[in-house]
Amino acid sequence: MEFQEDLVPKYWYNIIPDLPKPLPPPRDPPDSEFSRIELLKRIMPKEVLRQQFTVERFVSIPEKVREAYINIGRPTPLLRARRLEEMLRTPARIYFKFEGATPTGSHKINTAIAQAYFSMEEGVNHLVTETGAGQWGTAVALASRMYGLESSIFMVRVSYEQKPQRRTIMQLYGAKVYSSPTSLTEYGKKLTSQNPDHPGSLGIAMSEAIEYAMTNGYKYLVGSVLDVVVLHQSVIGLETINQLRNLDEEPDVLIGCVGGGSNFGGFVFPFIGAQKGTKYIAVGSFEVPKFSRGTYNYDFPDSAGLLPLIKMITLGKDYVPPPIYSGGLRYHGAAPSLSMLIKEGIVKWREYNEREIFEAAQTFLQAQGIVPAPESSHAIKAVIDEAREARVKNEKKVIVFNLSGHGLLDLPNYESMMKRMS
Amino acid sequence: MLVSYLTLGYPNREQFLTLLKGLVDAGSDVLEIGPPPKYAKYDGPVIRRSFKQVSSQGYDMWALLREARDAVSVPIVILTYLEEWIPTLEDFLIKLKDIGINGVLFPDLLIDFIDEYEEYVEAVRTHGLKSVIFTSPSVPDPLIQRASKLSDMFLYYGVRPTTGIAIPITVESLITRVRTLVENKLVVGFGLSDVEDMRRALKAGADGVAIGTAYIEEIERGGVKSAIALARKFRGVLDGS
Repeated sequence: MEFQEDLVPKYWYNIIPDLPKPLPPPRDPPDSEFSRIELLKRIMPKEVLRQQFTVERFVSIPEKVREAYINIGRPTPLLRARRLEEMLRTPARIYFKFEGATPTGSHKINTAIAQAYFSMEEGVNHLVTETGAGQWGTAVALASRMYGLESSIFMVRVSYEQKPQRRTIMQLYGAKVYSSPTSLTEYGKKLTSQNPDHPGSLGIAMSEAIEYAMTNGYKYLVGSVLDVVVLHQSVIGLETINQLRNLDEEPDVLIGCVGGGSNFGGFVFPFIGAQKGTKYIAVGSFEVPKFSRGTYNYDFPDSAGLLPLIKMITLGKDYVPPPIYSGGLRYHGAAPSLSMLIKEGIVKWREYNEREIFEAAQTFLQAQGIVPAPESSHAIKAVIDEAREARVKNEKKVIVFNLSGHGLLDLPNYESMMKRMS
Repeated sequence: MLVSYLTLGYPNREQFLTLLKGLVDAGSDVLEIGPPPKYAKYDGPVIRRSFKQVSSQGYDMWALLREARDAVSVPIVILTYLEEWIPTLEDFLIKLKDIGINGVLFPDLLIDFIDEYEEYVEAVRTHGLKSVIFTSPSVPDPLIQRASKLSDMFLYYGVRPTTGIAIPITVESLITRVRTLVENKLVVGFGLSDVEDMRRALKAGADGVAIGTAYIEEIERGGVKSAIALARKFRGVLDGS
């Protein structure tokens, strides 16, 4: 008999050696006064940095990390959306991987656990990061607690004030949550002296977190975009492959939403590596049109310009996204590996607007009962379109998507969307 | 095989020529010379410092290259970014051949010109120059195999993402993997800067090493004599002592 736990993989999957072309390396901008790659070395845990540049196809998951995955409820469920199939009257079979079932409500915890573990192993006692809407900060707060580490989270001031529930969760886990810009860093002091009511931004929070980590000898954790984060997230796709095998299902279409690309890459790349599936769809926001309007260029992953340039599909680091509800999809770029796969036509993309997303979310939650995160609802919209197409063509294909998070902390957003739609 | 890198004109014109001869006397089999580029896109901070110093002195690149060529008889390969020469590539290659340079190595060939790299290799060869190809761990296996067959003199394998920054990597496993793909001579560089790293690389199957950053750091610390002494030490490791 196979136990649920056996479905949790012992290795992470790294797509770098399986890409069609060499992945362009990170680099410094012309006339740079300092080396950003050297900066990475100072702020990131050593093993995390090694994994960032590894070209091994499979990277062993330390037993203690695997135990932590099981402890937070991995494998997360792979559920069949039967009611949704019925509502859409589609011959397609629809499955979803429910990452919202983790304690922090999204996939973010998968890499936070790994990075916190490696930090602890290296004798680091304090972790620092930034957070916008709060998903990533929550994951770092919990992961730090699991390994007995302190954590400091720089939360963008507007979110700090508008999303007090997220702040409360982080504080319950034992994190120190700061409203960024703060007076803890030189950068923050400079900004608040110019404008005491500065609303903050993700770029500012990130700069503060990096400065704070460097000044105090703490380590900084990265939440998306970088290859190492996509590597850790591969636990999602690897589990799903095992779960589908147990159901005797062969997937045809794999779908995920894209913020920085870590939930998409984590879910879909293992399928690409195993040559399973025939169609891979990355879904972005119409309001943040990186796939349709972005260019494939070297750009900064962070708006502060502190990290090395990476080659990716990007709207430019200074792009100011509109205030859409899917905070996680407002990011200007997409992970380099995913960007290349899109450029090469191996991964297809879609973009949907907020109204379509809201309708899709409502269809899904009325069918399956789960309130999806607005970000994940982008994947749902693509699933619905694929399922409808299957109905027209009478194809019994198998559609699998990643429900990267639940939306129970996004209810105020849903509420204002309902008002707008009525 | 010991491949020694020098930044053209570093630390100054006279000492550059002393260094050049010294590195050959110390047992370098091939010299790589890098003129300061407009954009040192894949270079680390140490090499960049050397570029900055040379640029502030302002030499005639071609005159100095000619002097370098006349000073030593080992093969000289020019290490430079293709991107910079594309508008004048033909002229550039003719001039190199004319002064007796043996080959070129474009570190950005497989990164920024992946779709047309074979045409550039051909262009270099048509001008009577050797084309040494630069690969790295992120190059997919089939491409490493292909590039290895195409590369003249040896295949250059840079193990770290940027020169001279000791990003933690496992040198052995990287080289063991690439060794199985490469029939050509394999020269490993980009951040191999201590003797232990070098021993590991050779044990894992490298035929040679390329040294650059370590010399420049040594020059900063103790001048060119010190760098030449370091080359002797590396030669010793290669010869099994």
